[in-house]
Amino acid sequence: MKKSALLGIIVIAVAIGVIVSTYADSSTYGNFTDAQKSDAELHVVGKLDLNKAIVYNPIQDANYFSFYVKDNQGKECKVVFNGTKPQDFEKSEQIVLVGKMVEGEFQASKILMKCPSKYNKDQVEVKTATSVQS
Amino acid sequence: MDTVFLGESLLPGKLGQFFVVLSFGTALLSTISYYFATNKDRPDDSWKKIARVAFSLNFLAVIGIGASLFYIIYNHLFEYHYAWAHSSKSLPVYYIISSFWEGQEGSFWLWTFWQSVLGLVLVFRAKIWESPVMTVLMLSQTFLASMLLGVEILGIRVGSSPFILLREAMQAPIFSRPDYLSLIDDGNGLNPLLQNYWMVIHPPTLFMGFAAMIVPFAFGIAGLWEKKYTEWIKAALPWALFAVMVLGAGIIMGSFWAYEALNFGGFWAWDPVENASLIPWLTLIAAVHVMLAFKKSGQAYFTSLFLVLISFILVLYASFLTRSGILGESSVHSFTDLGMFWQLFAYIAGFIVLALAMIIARWKALPFSKKEEETYSREFWLFVGSVMLTLACLQVLATTSIPVFNKIFGTEIAPPTQVVQHYNKWQLPFALVIAFISGFSQFLKYKKTETKKFYQQLIKSLAIAAILTAFAGYLTGIYSNPMFMLLTLTSLFSIVANADILYQAIKGKWKLAGSALAHIGFGFLLIGAMVAAATSKVVSVNSSGIGFGDEFAKSNNPRENIILYLNEPVKMDPYTVTYLGDSTSGPNTYYRVNYQVIDEKSGKIKESFDLYPNAQQNVKMRQIIASPDTRHYALKDIYTHVSSVPLKEEEKHEAHEGHSDEEDFGKPKVYQISLGDTIQIRDAVIVVKSVNRDAKVQNIPLKKGDVAVSLGLEIKDERKIYSAEPVFLIKGGNTYDFGKTVDDLGLKLRFTNILPQQNKLELTVFQKPKAEKKWIVMKAIMFPYINLFWGGAILMTIGFLLSIFRRNKELKTA
Repeated sequence: MKKSALLGIIVIAVAIGVIVSTYADSSTYGNFTDAQKSDAELHVVGKLDLNKAIVYNPIQDANYFSFYVKDNQGKECKVVFNGTKPQDFEKSEQIVLVGKMVEGEFQASKILMKCPSKYNKDQVEVKTATSVQS
Repeated sequence: MDTVFLGESLLPGKLGQFFVVLSFGTALLSTISYYFATNKDRPDDSWKKIARVAFSLNFLAVIGIGASLFYIIYNHLFEYHYAWAHSSKSLPVYYIISSFWEGQEGSFWLWTFWQSVLGLVLVFRAKIWESPVMTVLMLSQTFLASMLLGVEILGIRVGSSPFILLREAMQAPIFSRPDYLSLIDDGNGLNPLLQNYWMVIHPPTLFMGFAAMIVPFAFGIAGLWEKKYTEWIKAALPWALFAVMVLGAGIIMGSFWAYEALNFGGFWAWDPVENASLIPWLTLIAAVHVMLAFKKSGQAYFTSLFLVLISFILVLYASFLTRSGILGESSVHSFTDLGMFWQLFAYIAGFIVLALAMIIARWKALPFSKKEEETYSREFWLFVGSVMLTLACLQVLATTSIPVFNKIFGTEIAPPTQVVQHYNKWQLPFALVIAFISGFSQFLKYKKTETKKFYQQLIKSLAIAAILTAFAGYLTGIYSNPMFMLLTLTSLFSIVANADILYQAIKGKWKLAGSALAHIGFGFLLIGAMVAAATSKVVSVNSSGIGFGDEFAKSNNPRENIILYLNEPVKMDPYTVTYLGDSTSGPNTYYRVNYQVIDEKSGKIKESFDLYPNAQQNVKMRQIIASPDTRHYALKDIYTHVSSVPLKEEEKHEAHEGHSDEEDFGKPKVYQISLGDTIQIRDAVIVVKSVNRDAKVQNIPLKKGDVAVSLGLEIKDERKIYSAEPVFLIKGGNTYDFGKTVDDLGLKLRFTNILPQQNKLELTVFQKPKAEKKWIVMKAIMFPYINLFWGGAILMTIGFLLSIFRRNKELKTA
């Protein structure tokens, strides 16, 4: 067999391996209902519920952070994260949680936030003294 | 409609916008003229002259855009959206420079600027290649210039201008006032995370690397166009090396910035934005190797051409990923979407079509090599190594592109949940194969090698590497992981093999030094990255397990954050860590954290240092933005950041709805007591002075059969005596209790039950944790041997630089 043919076969095999592995390792976007059915970790996209308690009390436990998220189907669930409260948390427009359901609570291993970062916000801050009149 | 606005300074914006349009027009003119100059449309040089004039004007226009924009930002002209959105008055000059390229427009400008500078060098140096190469470069310049246009053509918005006024960019009632500008006090400022000295230099370097990638691409196209199928490779080689060096340095600077300024706790996170810059770098590195193989042996022509062309297309793909908003939720730090999806898409599509069309048109004439490479030849293994690099790149590309696949196929696949493990699983084997090849190919010669000598050298180097690996495995503690050991072995083998070459270089064959040094650097970089990532250790493991986190102690996640109270030392093996106070400088608060190593036997302090992790507080948003501080040693780093701090000027906490005030207290303690008992609590003593059997509760009339009992309590601490009288009430068969608080002591006392059988009363004591004390929550990580990673990167860059000199010299002498 020619070397180039052998190399070609190896390349194709690895390439297939890469694609299969990308697919195999990939996760799915779901909601809390899906999470309840599944044992695997998955991505849940939702919005933070600012009306419910966002608990991070480092004096009691520096590694406990809990909050409520409404998923895209409107189902709400308590989310518990084993760590500190991320920066900019309250401002997030959308939250992507990676984790799984444990006893009715969603245990997040990762929190990704999509923020309309302060530095891009579409609001003009005006001097407070003069802004009252219009 | 025609309001005259007061205080606006419109000239710099008008001038800037003029330069934007000028840069687009001249880039287009220059492209067209260079095209006709290449095709020798006229016998004289007139097209080339026009092209050069247009290029010069373009260069001036680009400088003009930069100068206008800098003037606007520097003078805090907040009537312009860009200045308002990205800077503020309090920024020092060097951060004004970083705010310049915080936005998409500024970074596009940076790209056009470098492309112009490279173009200038090419005009002077490229000689016969000037016209075709510059046609391609100026085509790219035209696309980039269009990104800054910000004008509407046939109802379609083309580009986004940095000179747009704030009142045009936003809708708000204040903009109907002529004096609106006097109300805008300050800009939004620069993202605090970007306020780092590396952010001054990292983006220009990275974009210089991106811009430089066009040059080898342009040479590739020029070679096909001018039917100089093989000559272009030699001319493009120094440029490819230059692009690889600069882009590599840019990536590493970004990595160092992430390590120094971000608190994700590491130097590489396989974030899509990081990957986007790595992908073209990997293909161009591969391209450089096959270009060498072709130069020496005539093999691997098509691979060289393909890799050179695809590298630039991948640069465009990278900018598409980070700027089009397609990464969306899968990346934390891409640019905000400016609605230029299709324009960016057109940029890539244009260059793909160009590359494909040229290849197809010239396919039959391409110098494919008919014969097979010898197994014992350097060109064969250069080729195999490049294929491996390309496969490694393919893996990164495949996973990074998941959001793109979703968009194309309408699927909803999420990226892997364990991203880092997913990448490492693939990249580690690739790295070890590549390291091994980069070692032994140094013992191979082009064309044919004497096998006996080859194996002698191979075995000698392998033996030395094996001894070093055993030593390194013992030292770093990675010996239990066979994959880590293998990577260490192959990397050390590559270092040893290349050190051999370097030794010969020092003895006189100077031209070998570049590649040897780059490979040695690469070997150290691999070992450093692997060891630092694999053996990094969270120092701040919270072992106390207090609070309501008990349920979590069971789960696998380590408790990586720890609370420190002011002046209360906490032991974190091997350090005793104390929070010693904070100081404020500008917007930053620096938390002084002292680390000590205390000898257990003698109690002597062996080592003591302070770290100052900082946080910017935003009281209004009730959040902090934290940056780490790191203690650098030769062999390890101690990295520390605060994860949570008390917010300053926090208003007195009031119990609001849906939020029980008992949440502020720690876990309650229940005591069964009788009259006269004393209870010892933290810092105080409670004495049960009296039991009052006919207590009254305000506003609640007692009926017959209702019982109200109160406890007369006396609470004594060192300074004062307090009293409290909680009430227990049975009314209509239900029980209620009315607790009392002692604010000074952070106490809440509830009389919660009467236990007639035991003849006891039940008192529940809530006590606030030591909130009065200052505290920080922090995380500390130890990164062993991380300097190998940075050091390796520096060596590699120097190696590239030497290689550029060598290949450039070859170009002149040839």
